[in-house]
Amino acid sequence: MANRAVPQRPNGQTPGKICQFKLVLLGESSVGKSSLVLRFVKGQFHEYQESTIGAAFLTQTIHLNDVAVKFEIWDTAGQERYHSLAPMYYRGAQAAIVVYDITNQDTFERAKNWVKELQRQATPGIVIALAGNKLDLNTMRSVQTDESQTYAYENGLMFMETSAKTSANVTEIFKAIAEKLPKNENTNTAGQGRRLVDSAEGSNKSLSSCCK
Amino acid sequence: MTCNCVDAPVPPLFGVQTLFAAQHTSESCGANGLPLTPNSITILGRAQKLRTLNHPNLVLHLDFIRKQHGRIILVSQYFKRSLWTETNNYLLLLPLEKVLSWTHRVLDALTYLNSNGVVHRFLTPQYILFDDEDNVKLFNYGLYYMTNSGKNITFPIGKLKYTAPEVLVLDRDSYKSGPKTDSWSLGIIVLELLLGAQLWPTLKLSQIIRKILSLTHCTDVVMRLAREMGRLTMYQSLPDELKDFLGKCICMDVKKRLCPKELFHHKIFSAYEYSKILMNKCYSCKHPLRQMKLDQVYYLWKLAGGDVEWALKKKGLLRNESPILLLPRLIILEGTLYGNTRNQSSLLDLQIVELPLDLLVNRLQHLKITDYDPLIDQVNKQNDTTEKLPLVIREKDTEYQFRRIILFDRLLAAFPFKLDKLLIEAKKDIPPFFRGEVWACLLNVCGDTESIYMSIDKETAGVTDRQIEVDIPRCHQYNDLLSSSVAHKKLKRVLKAWLVSHPKYVYWQGLDSLCAPFVYLNFCKEHVSYACLTAFVKKYLNDVFLKDNAAVIREYLIKLSHLIAFHDPQLANHLDEKGFIPDLFAIPWFLTMFSHVFPLHKIFHLWDKLLLGDSSYPLFVGLSILTQLRSTLLNSGFNECILLFSDLPEVDIEKCVLESSKFNDATPRSITFRKYELRTETREYDPCLMYEVLQNEFSPRISIYDLVELKSSSLKFLVLDTRPQEFYIEKSIPGSLNIHVREEDLVDENFDLAPCPELSALVNNRGSILIVVDNVFELNKVRSFCRFLVKKEYPKVCSLHGGIEALENFNILVPAIMY
Repeated sequence: MANRAVPQRPNGQTPGKICQFKLVLLGESSVGKSSLVLRFVKGQFHEYQESTIGAAFLTQTIHLNDVAVKFEIWDTAGQERYHSLAPMYYRGAQAAIVVYDITNQDTFERAKNWVKELQRQATPGIVIALAGNKLDLNTMRSVQTDESQTYAYENGLMFMETSAKTSANVTEIFKAIAEKLPKNENTNTAGQGRRLVDSAEGSNKSLSSCCK
Repeated sequence: MTCNCVDAPVPPLFGVQTLFAAQHTSESCGANGLPLTPNSITILGRAQKLRTLNHPNLVLHLDFIRKQHGRIILVSQYFKRSLWTETNNYLLLLPLEKVLSWTHRVLDALTYLNSNGVVHRFLTPQYILFDDEDNVKLFNYGLYYMTNSGKNITFPIGKLKYTAPEVLVLDRDSYKSGPKTDSWSLGIIVLELLLGAQLWPTLKLSQIIRKILSLTHCTDVVMRLAREMGRLTMYQSLPDELKDFLGKCICMDVKKRLCPKELFHHKIFSAYEYSKILMNKCYSCKHPLRQMKLDQVYYLWKLAGGDVEWALKKKGLLRNESPILLLPRLIILEGTLYGNTRNQSSLLDLQIVELPLDLLVNRLQHLKITDYDPLIDQVNKQNDTTEKLPLVIREKDTEYQFRRIILFDRLLAAFPFKLDKLLIEAKKDIPPFFRGEVWACLLNVCGDTESIYMSIDKETAGVTDRQIEVDIPRCHQYNDLLSSSVAHKKLKRVLKAWLVSHPKYVYWQGLDSLCAPFVYLNFCKEHVSYACLTAFVKKYLNDVFLKDNAAVIREYLIKLSHLIAFHDPQLANHLDEKGFIPDLFAIPWFLTMFSHVFPLHKIFHLWDKLLLGDSSYPLFVGLSILTQLRSTLLNSGFNECILLFSDLPEVDIEKCVLESSKFNDATPRSITFRKYELRTETREYDPCLMYEVLQNEFSPRISIYDLVELKSSSLKFLVLDTRPQEFYIEKSIPGSLNIHVREEDLVDENFDLAPCPELSALVNNRGSILIVVDNVFELNKVRSFCRFLVKKEYPKVCSLHGGIEALENFNILVPAIMY
């Protein structure tokens, strides 16, 4: 709830600097995208987090030194079929977290595909972080840290292994992203979320073409 | 030959028992990374099947309740008299015919259980009960089945003396008892009965075990047992067939022992004429409640304030300990607890507590005998004031639900006859007791759905199995029943059956949520869940689950936008200005018909009404949710709006349902016309439009058919003719208003209508349906004018599909009379 109380001050009136960024979460279903967001935004965790249909939207502000960084987070549906909706959410995003499940190799492969798609089609310069989630299930691991680390390094991604359940590295990964995002005046635009709609309307044609 | 009388006493009909499921030792998780399902939930899921068992010699299972700390409460039919009491603890020697008659009934019941995959495993004289008419009723036959052969509990099932030797020898976890273990137990019971003595009445448990195991060495087990009972001569005097029968029951070699089905056909039962034994016929007056189905009586008893837990507490079987006393001394990191003192009431005590029915009887005291058996056509003539109370109160009102159950019981039995009456009654409300069945009728599920379902391959692996498997364990899991592994399997089978039988469609996330209410309500009737899902999707979600459903979904969403503009222009303007389009929030609403958005109890009330509406009804539900939140929405920017829907606030479902009905009644059908909805025919002037056209319009279109119908309906409407006056005078719709506007004027943002008599007429008719008409080629002008009217916050703005030209064929255009 606290996140909603964040005032949207017009530029210039703020004591510290407020930067807003649009961030999108992508990845195979049931890897823990919604759980990561829920942990980050509300500090909660539900074992039986229900599936996301379409997408969910949440915001959270963190403070880096004197800068308040407000994330506008689009949590997308994981099922492949909802893929056609994804561009509507990642278009215009300044950051993306691609999530996979460390106990499931297939989800890592799917994550790689998301990275490729983002690098090809998303905003140039988008900050991409790779998150190997479910670190609490380390004993059941099937994706080795080295493997993902190397992959992330080769593709210029940030990388962390996280656990929404134990909250390991959850705030850290968002913080790391915040640090990496450029905080100059032009990104400091209020009502970033509005962009989604502009692009959503503009993307209707491409949406239909990728649906067919 | 009984008569009914409302003053007759009602004996307790139900018995309660309680037990504990085994606890998982520590915080361990399953292969999918999720916590292990508590055993009590697993038991709850498995136990549901027992409710479907119905045999004249079995008691009925009525309820299974799960409580804290793995406690399970079982409610079933119960009778005070048992084999144990009838024989006065075996002191009475009964006639052979009577013993044989009872034995045969027990075997019949066991055979029925076996054919349903259930083994009793707890056969004792105390669990062979008799009803008023001396019919044998087996009790406690479900314990072994519901606990997955005793795997989910920590205590052994069965009374040691009657337990077959192999049960004691073989490993409990790997060995499942078969039907023949019951044969052994029955053999011992019959032997005791015939000899009129108890076996090993004074031995300790360990001694009994030793005794049973020592039987391995003897050649004639039955004779040895008879000797131990001190009744050898009596045994030897028994007829040979009977000795043979006992030998076939009490037989160490399981292979040679007969199963209940074989024993049922043993020659001993044809040798004696026992069917003529005089039954203890009951001639006294009976309360009419006892003519009702037992599960209905139990349901009403609970409504009347019956409390199973309270009954247990009274007997000391359930005690409240202050929480601090339950704290363990030590919890190690992986979660195992040490040093928590065991609560006395957590020890196993299978004592049966009877539930007195006084509460219910008192509650229904003033009812007449005819209320129990009314003529259905006269039922609605009673003007019940309860009908006007809120739904939640009606659902808790014993007498109201009593009448509803009596009524619906008859209507459902008559289905599909009396469907019209069923619809009328369902419109008032649907009694929760019959919800599953009523829904099936409303969805027109009939015919042999079972064999259709049986013939579908639900096992072969499919491409979407992985997706289904990850979705099911998070689908409505707050519900005990749906979180059990039995429910997971059922949900998966029903989904797979639907997918296999609809090759045109694919699995979209959300289909699981849609399926869950049907599985929950028809838990033991998978085929009905399947048939309901099939009918529901066909009616409300036609083509939504196509692999490429973009066109269907987008049409649906744009129709919601149109509907908002039609009924709530202020909200529509605000949302449009903020760019808050339904695509951002309403996909899960319509894809799952709100089953992904609301918890089960809300879905029930919502779908109770949804199922009575047509395929457009969900749009009105969506609209009424929005209007319920309108004040928040109107004061919110884009971010706040979207946040509101990411975490939907409390929605008052009853209000929502009422509002949506009102919207539905105030909306001509063609307003919500969708190209992709299921319909038998599309008429020439139906507004069947491409998405690209719909997208450019802010207000919906109305068809000529509806315009014609409006003339004879009670809805107020006004036709606005925007053509130049000369055309209007020449030919126009009678009663229409001529407001000539030019397309180029409307481009100006500050455009407004000049004051004129027509404008005042328009203002005076605010709230009527406003139908904008022009020439068909003036599409852009009509659109802009509609948008202008909505901006001016005129509700119910729409345009006539096909323009004035379309009216030529309808013979309603006349020259206008100018004043």
